[in-house]
Amino acid sequence: MYPGATADRTEANFVVVGAPLDASTTFAPGTRFGPRRIRHFSETFDDYDHRTDRRFTDCAVHDAGDIRAWDAVDEYLEFLEGTLRDVHWDDAVPLLLGGEHTVSAAGAGAVDADVFVCLDAHLDLRSEYDGNPLSHACVTRRILDPDDYDDAPDIDVEEAIIIGARTGSEEEWERASEDDVTVVSPDEAADFVPELEDRLEGREAYLSVDIDGADPAYAPGTGTMEPFGLDPRTMRDVVRTVAPHATGFDAVEVNDRDDGQAASLAGKLLREFVFSRVDALES
Amino acid sequence: MAKQQKEVRDLGEGGYVLIDDAACKIDSYSTAKPGKHGSAKARIEARGVFDGKRRSLSQPVDAKIWVPIINRKQGQIVSVDGDDMQVMDLESYETITMRIPEDVDASPDDNIEYLEMEGQRKIV
Repeated sequence: MYPGATADRTEANFVVVGAPLDASTTFAPGTRFGPRRIRHFSETFDDYDHRTDRRFTDCAVHDAGDIRAWDAVDEYLEFLEGTLRDVHWDDAVPLLLGGEHTVSAAGAGAVDADVFVCLDAHLDLRSEYDGNPLSHACVTRRILDPDDYDDAPDIDVEEAIIIGARTGSEEEWERASEDDVTVVSPDEAADFVPELEDRLEGREAYLSVDIDGADPAYAPGTGTMEPFGLDPRTMRDVVRTVAPHATGFDAVEVNDRDDGQAASLAGKLLREFVFSRVDALES
Repeated sequence: MAKQQKEVRDLGEGGYVLIDDAACKIDSYSTAKPGKHGSAKARIEARGVFDGKRRSLSQPVDAKIWVPIINRKQGQIVSVDGDDMQVMDLESYETITMRIPEDVDASPDDNIEYLEMEGQRKIV
């Protein structure tokens, strides 16, 4: 159980769902351990949050456990999306723990958001990677252009905002130059936060935290490290800004190849998300 | 209510199922594969046949579940009066009064098909 996620499912405003998918990881595998690691390295966090004067155990969070992953990724995404849609239909916010980034397609499909906001080192805008359209390197493309792929989740996102992106193929940068994609480099990210607030006004967002958006110095436990990344405080500010507008959240691409730095950052950002959303809705 | 018992594994898209005592038509059916220890779980998304409300269900595939028996009938519109119409059942020749759905253009002598369960009716 995620520490402090003590609410009953029927009374929860947030539901943690683990999605330990580890099928298409391209360099270092281990995302199958992500949900377990994030829960474990969140154990040290205080229940009380001084900034919002709230306790995590009062925020009505429930942990529904993991949806065990199997090889057929399209079938898995379909089942996972349905599980997350149940959460959304119950007027709660799913908090998805990856797992590779592919699971974000299920999250975004479940909550029917207008904008996909993503903290990520990579554009993830490939039409396919190694012949696989459901690779973790293609997830933002799947969410933006679901019709390119027959069995993709039914997603109707109008815009993607990728914060912290610093690498991609030529094809991906071309796709990123179109009007429905905004790419914010790590250098620009802190200054972009006030604009992000304005752009989300009156719209519903889905927030995906790919932990490799952080500089690998802060989060080495991830599959495809990319230097010159975001610092944790900028990621925190983005999470705080998006949370009041977000109907779904995920933290993905955490693996077991560090001493807990990546999992700890992911767990802390999840808590920031919960505190910020509750604070915004109740004040 | 006329109903029969089935296993969740026997259900499929387009079929019917009782969820929260309401007859529902299944829109989607997906299963999670079992691990080494545990049974496969199915998730069903359905919509109420008579109330249009969406509902979902998550159960092991070997769980027992009730499926409503819904009659599909043929009728002929006898007359139209405002929002209501008189329909003659083409099997029993019984005449019933039905509310005209918003998306139906009803006129006398038209043949219609409708679902009936326990006095509730819906035009197909």
